[in-house]
Amino acid sequence: MTGALMLSAAAAPGGSVLFAIFALAACLCAVAVVASQTVVRMAFWLVLSLGSTAALFFLADADFVGAAQLLIYVGGTLVLLVFGVMLTASGPYLKIATSPGETILGAVVALLFLCVVVASVSGVTWPEPVAADAGALQTASGNTLRPLGLAFLGTRPDQDLADGDQLSPGYLLPFEIISIHLLVVLIGAAYLARAKRRAVGT
Amino acid sequence: MVGETLRNLLLIAWLLPLCGFAVEIFGGFWGSRRSRVAAWLAVGCIATGFVCSASALTIWGKSNGWAVLHRADHHESSADGGGPAVADGTVPPAAEAVPGAEASAPTAVAGQHAADEHSHSGADSAKAQTVFSGTLYRLATFGGLELSLDYYIDSLTLVMFTMVTFIATCIHLFAMGYMSEELTEEYVDHHAHLRNGHHVHRPGRFYRFFAFLSLFCFSMLGLVLAGNIFQVFIFWELVGICSFLLIGFYTERKSASTAANKAFIMNRVGDFGFLIGLMVVWTYFGTFKFADTVDADGHVVQAGLFQMLPRGADGNVIMNAENGEVQIGSATAANPANRHATIPYALLVLAGLGVFAGCIGKSAQFPLQTWLPDAMEGPTPVSALVHSATMVAAGVYLTGRFYPMFVQEVLLTIAYIGCITAFVAATIAIVATDIKKVLAYSTISQLGYMMLGLGVFGWGAGLFHLVTHAFFKSLMFLCSGSVIYGCHHEQEMPKMGGLWRKMPITAFTMLVGVMAIAGLAIPGLVGPGFGQLFAFSGFHSKDAVVATALAFVQANPAHFLLFILPLITAGVTAFYMFRLWFYTFAGKPRDHHVYDHCHESPLIMTGPLVVLSLLAAYCAWGGEQGNLYLLITGDQPSYVSHGIPALAAGGLTMPGHDAVVAVHHQAGTYALIAAFSGTFLAWLLYGSGKVDVAEIRRQLSGVHGFLANKWHFDELYDALFMRPTHVVGRFCAGIDRMIFDGILHGAAGATVLVSKWDRAFDEKVVDGLVNLLGNATWSAGNWLKVLQTGRLRQYVMFIVAGVVALFGVLLATFPR
Amino acid sequence: MSLSAYLLVGAVLFVCGIVCMATKRNGIGVLMGVELVLNGANVNFVAFSKYTQLGLDGQIFSLFVIVLAAAEAAVALAIALNFYNNHLTIDVDRANKLKG
Repeated sequence: MTGALMLSAAAAPGGSVLFAIFALAACLCAVAVVASQTVVRMAFWLVLSLGSTAALFFLADADFVGAAQLLIYVGGTLVLLVFGVMLTASGPYLKIATSPGETILGAVVALLFLCVVVASVSGVTWPEPVAADAGALQTASGNTLRPLGLAFLGTRPDQDLADGDQLSPGYLLPFEIISIHLLVVLIGAAYLARAKRRAVGT
Repeated sequence: MVGETLRNLLLIAWLLPLCGFAVEIFGGFWGSRRSRVAAWLAVGCIATGFVCSASALTIWGKSNGWAVLHRADHHESSADGGGPAVADGTVPPAAEAVPGAEASAPTAVAGQHAADEHSHSGADSAKAQTVFSGTLYRLATFGGLELSLDYYIDSLTLVMFTMVTFIATCIHLFAMGYMSEELTEEYVDHHAHLRNGHHVHRPGRFYRFFAFLSLFCFSMLGLVLAGNIFQVFIFWELVGICSFLLIGFYTERKSASTAANKAFIMNRVGDFGFLIGLMVVWTYFGTFKFADTVDADGHVVQAGLFQMLPRGADGNVIMNAENGEVQIGSATAANPANRHATIPYALLVLAGLGVFAGCIGKSAQFPLQTWLPDAMEGPTPVSALVHSATMVAAGVYLTGRFYPMFVQEVLLTIAYIGCITAFVAATIAIVATDIKKVLAYSTISQLGYMMLGLGVFGWGAGLFHLVTHAFFKSLMFLCSGSVIYGCHHEQEMPKMGGLWRKMPITAFTMLVGVMAIAGLAIPGLVGPGFGQLFAFSGFHSKDAVVATALAFVQANPAHFLLFILPLITAGVTAFYMFRLWFYTFAGKPRDHHVYDHCHESPLIMTGPLVVLSLLAAYCAWGGEQGNLYLLITGDQPSYVSHGIPALAAGGLTMPGHDAVVAVHHQAGTYALIAAFSGTFLAWLLYGSGKVDVAEIRRQLSGVHGFLANKWHFDELYDALFMRPTHVVGRFCAGIDRMIFDGILHGAAGATVLVSKWDRAFDEKVVDGLVNLLGNATWSAGNWLKVLQTGRLRQYVMFIVAGVVALFGVLLATFPR
Repeated sequence: MSLSAYLLVGAVLFVCGIVCMATKRNGIGVLMGVELVLNGANVNFVAFSKYTQLGLDGQIFSLFVIVLAAAEAAVALAIALNFYNNHLTIDVDRANKLKG
């Protein structure tokens, strides 16, 4: 948390340097994920990329989300993926490479897509950012734990009751749904991945 | 009353054979082929018919007190009822024009008849009616022309009925014995061969024979009874068909079926002329009926043919002074069907010749005589009944019946044709070797005699000869049938000889017939009483004909041939008939096989022979003063007895009764001389055995060949008519094959072509379109299948590309 | 630090993830691409949460996304393991049973 505070305190020109560093790291690591030939290395670069993204979250005053990212995404999902890599390895350093043609095609399409997105993004005039201290609950400092929790429980303390437009009923229901959903999915995944007799032959 | 009775009796006699035919024709289905029931039925029908006819004759005679028989020699004028004409010259000939009544109630209009008779000497004013006529059934009416079934009963009709039914009865009985070989399930026809040479085996046809005989009797009697010329034509054709069926009775024999065809077709040729005559009659007279149509009151509604051609006092037709045509008169003003008042003389001649042309065909006169010898292919009873006594006599009968419509030119033609026929046929008979062929040519010759008699104005003479000829010719045919039966179907005389020892009855009865036809008699003894025993019927009738011919030639010297040829023919007749008798019955047997197996025929065959021989000998007892002649001539046309003077200068004079009587003795003598010389010659050559006949034949081989080939008539007709017909037939067949079939094949080919094109179109275009659609869809699917690679990454790529494209489009088209 | 920068980063992450999904033959690699995509979306959410009046909702949604990503990763992995057990390879190109 202090680190986060520290980072948010440097919201001045130093914040943008950090942003630049982490943004670059995230992008480059993502590119490296794409460029890696072996899946293990892809996993490694993905970890780094996700970590950078978490840093970006911290810089964007979303502490809890960043922490959740680190915990769940990096620490859980990616580890899962690494486990999967291990379980499906079919030989040390066996390369399953893509053909260069497809790589180029992919790159071209990706670039096109990027251009499209950039064009659409740049074409939008974003409204003025909300003042940092506006609202009943101030989240500009990154202290979002309590508001998030309360929002999940159905209340929205960050909203101004006087402003009828912004009222939202809270996220209790989606929270519950997601919980159940997660439970079901995990049970299902556990069932799907149960131990079976290995297929005869190769 | 009398008329009704007569009509009913003759109707029974006429229609019974038809019922018999209807029953007998199914005999093969109902009865066994071995049963004689059909024959007994036929005999029963025709015998009943004879009884009815005889009764009718008796009733008729009684009704007029047998006035016809009490005519003295010179009182024919009263007997035949035709008095001298009254002043206006339009008295109709009365006898046959006595108004016949309707079917309901013919009345004895003695009163009216008497009214017609004004002044005739010695006749009783209340003369009984002798002619009955009326309508049986109306067939159709076309405008003014009425076609109906009428009856016309006069003495001639009754005599013919009695004669036909009697002879038919005898022949039916004879046929029961003769056709007994057909009483079997399998009859072997030795004259018909199959392709492999075997004889034809077939079921017996006994019942069919009698069915056809019954049908024939029905047709013949219908012809005799007919009251209008159209009805005569109907039954004319019917007897022709019966003749066809009977000649071709042995259907499997080619010769028989060809002969049947020949008979029918040659008859048809004659009927062509008959139809022309009918047409002229219809056009100018508007009616076909012989007698007048009278309503209940006795008024003449529609005059009959005989009435409509009135004859003047001298017996000639009356010429209209204005236009030189023949006057058509009418008894009363009621003559709605006729629009003509006069008929051109030439057309009247044409009508007569036309009707006579039918008689030429039916009675086998020159030039249509060649069918009768071939008609001997039929069984002998058929030859006896149809082709000697009745059917061929129908022509003579019609000539006699239609007599009032014939003018002098027609009569002359009739006489010449008869004369030629008689002579030609007699010469051919000299050399014929088949016993039936000799008799056939004899029949033709005698028919020629009858026609000659009718032609030279001997109405009575010709018909007298008709009746006597019927008796002795049918007798002779039956005798020959007996010989053939006894000799097991051997018909060639060179194989016979000396048969009188084996078949005495047949031989004797045949001798009677031969003497009758030869006209033999013992002169001086001819007269009432004992002499008559040796004057057979043929003598009297032939005498009458010859006498009339002599009277005619005396009246018209230019036509001397009409006397010379008949005289010669009489001698020839005697010659070949005795030749036949000597050849067959006398002398030594020439073929021992035939002689040994020969036997006399059974009683059922010889019985009729005996009966007929009696009649053949003595039916004409009394000659021209005898009952038969008087009966026949009871209702002869009135003008016949007086004779007719020439119509114009250079025309023909017809001799009357007196002229004939004057030359009777002279003619009779000539005839007897001719007959005796013929007989003597025959005895010399064939009976005595002193002369070598074969040597004579060799020396006169040219003449013999000519006669044996029947004067080459068949070859002549073949070249004149058969070949051109074949050429025309081939030509027509060629047209048919090439043009019509060509058109048809072309049409068929065109249709096939069109259908082929249609099919090609269907397959290529229509199916092509449909298949194209299907193929295109399949190809598209096949092509699109390429997209479905199943490769995950590709799908993702497509998604991305799609999104990129979509957003690109969106960004490009939508303003910010 | 502007919104656009965040969005750009998010875009880059997204595109990389797409490319990973589209080009990687290893099944796990594809899953990693999915993670990257989701991550990019998360960055977007957070950015919007910070710079617009979206406020807290953005972060809440990103939390949802994280959870769902985890769930999805678990299931996807189970499928990949099954596939590996059946075919003894994790090459997605071998999974072409749906080929037309």
